[in-house]
Amino acid sequence: MNYFLIFFSAAIVNNFVLSYFLGICPFVGVSKRVSSAVSMGMAVTFVMLITSVVTWLIYHLILVPFEVEILEYVSFILVIASLVQLVEMFIRKVSKPLYDTLGIYLPLITTNCAILGLALFSVLREYSFMESVVFGLGAGVGFTLALVIMAGIREELELAPVPKYFQGAGITMIVAGGLALAFMGFAGMI
Amino acid sequence: MSTQLSLKAEFVKGLWRENPVLASLLGLCPTLAVTNAAMNGLAMGLATTFVLLMSSLMISALRNFIPYQVRIAGYIVIIATFVTVADRFLAAFLPEISATLGPYIPLIVVNCLILGRQEAFSSRNGIGRSLLDSLGMGLGFIFVLVALGIIRETLGSGSIFGVTVLGDWFTPWMVMILPPGAFLTLGILIALANWYNDSSSTTPRSTDKKAIS
Amino acid sequence: MSKLSISTRMILVLTLITVLSGGILAGWDMFTKPRIEFHRLEALKTAIGEVLPAHDQYESRETESGTLYIGTNTGSDQPVGIAFMAVGSGFQGELRIMVGLTPDLTQLTGIKVLEQIETPGLGTKIVVDPSNKQDPFWFPAQFKGIHVAPEIIALKNAKPSTNNEVQGITGATISSKAVTRILNEQIANVKAAWTTKGGPES
Repeated sequence: MNYFLIFFSAAIVNNFVLSYFLGICPFVGVSKRVSSAVSMGMAVTFVMLITSVVTWLIYHLILVPFEVEILEYVSFILVIASLVQLVEMFIRKVSKPLYDTLGIYLPLITTNCAILGLALFSVLREYSFMESVVFGLGAGVGFTLALVIMAGIREELELAPVPKYFQGAGITMIVAGGLALAFMGFAGMI
Repeated sequence: MSTQLSLKAEFVKGLWRENPVLASLLGLCPTLAVTNAAMNGLAMGLATTFVLLMSSLMISALRNFIPYQVRIAGYIVIIATFVTVADRFLAAFLPEISATLGPYIPLIVVNCLILGRQEAFSSRNGIGRSLLDSLGMGLGFIFVLVALGIIRETLGSGSIFGVTVLGDWFTPWMVMILPPGAFLTLGILIALANWYNDSSSTTPRSTDKKAIS
Repeated sequence: MSKLSISTRMILVLTLITVLSGGILAGWDMFTKPRIEFHRLEALKTAIGEVLPAHDQYESRETESGTLYIGTNTGSDQPVGIAFMAVGSGFQGELRIMVGLTPDLTQLTGIKVLEQIETPGLGTKIVVDPSNKQDPFWFPAQFKGIHVAPEIIALKNAKPSTNNEVQGITGATISSKAVTRILNEQIANVKAAWTTKGGPES
């Protein structure tokens, strides 16, 4: 598979949020304001990129040579959790403004299924190193895209008369359903 | 825990009042991803409940030994261990289910429901109480997954648990077993739960407040 | 325990938990690995059995274009056919197809789509078509006996007239053409790999 195809497939056609249901929790939780959605999306994309590099190295240079693939899940989740911590500390040291924008979202990312999902899919699809990195970037962009569109719609929704029982999570799910339908239109482009 | 619930209440609360999916919006990824058929929902629910029970057992037993600062790291190692056990068990003994659920079984590791229960409950309560809590939450989770699975499978494939229930006259609504169907069905289910609670109980609640992690 | 400094305790407890986890998983791995391996081989054997003519054993051979599975009968060194796994993109995502060829690589002996995420009810007909009660496997079944030269063609709204044509699926043209495209590309690769390896006799 060529890189463009992998990127396009992860970002649009098989969007992580709208067709694999990965990262639904932040999708519901942090999609009320476009500005915070953009920050969250950037934080996730950043962590995804690093994760795809590090988990690829761990899987192919440690787990496979030592035949301990059974430790895949334990090592991946530990690495992701530590990475998120490291990134948080690093950003705090390097740039105060960046920390103020992304900082509060970073702890949430550890339990974001999209990150672990990315690492698992990379292994499952037997991606090469470069392919994993492109896949990570595509998935991050796709996640950001879905989050920002959703936040845009929800900002408008605040002014709309939503039926009482659908307020909050209910209407968010219905809107996500509509978005997922729209994204299905991209199928066949790869 | 300042107010101790009765043991029965500890178990029952997860079934409906504090249902992990409908009330707390936890574990939405598997809820949406694997419920295109009732059987998949059941298998996912059982696997999750197994991991939840075993992790709660370990963590409530070790709760006084794990230092506060590294508790999350400890919890995720324990959870990931039992997820691997469940994943390999399915691959070894139920290969078909394992192939259908694919990467969604390992993704139980990051199911907020499990880490959430450890953090909020098992790390502060005894083994018995934690197991009851986990069992209630697990059953509540299974209930929603199977309900979604039945609705989506009936409308999307005309069958329940693989047994055809709607005859040839019925044209399956393909969209129900595709991603949009998952979102729409869950949205309607959450609204129905709100409506039911509002009309039957004296303690109305807002679902949105708890939309976390 | 409480006499130790907090950082020593942190390291101690985490190490203990990790060792415990490693121990449980090592034991569980030994217990489940043979069964998982058995299922994997069984699935491979079934897939090869479905695309090749009757045979009672197969051998795997690594080539530049992946692993080839050569089916033979005991007591005969003439292969009944050669199977391989073809992978490529379909309408929505990756397709994995087990392909069976005659030993001279001129005709298909069968195909079986093992993995796909095509649209349910349309593209999934490349595996099985539940709306056709008499013959749900009409699409994959057509490939048996099809000639691979000059190339396999999936027709839209027309009955096949020559021996290298199959009928496409109405409403799933892209899925149908994806299957023939993947076959054409990868059969060419297999042919090239097969000839450099010294032909069927090697």
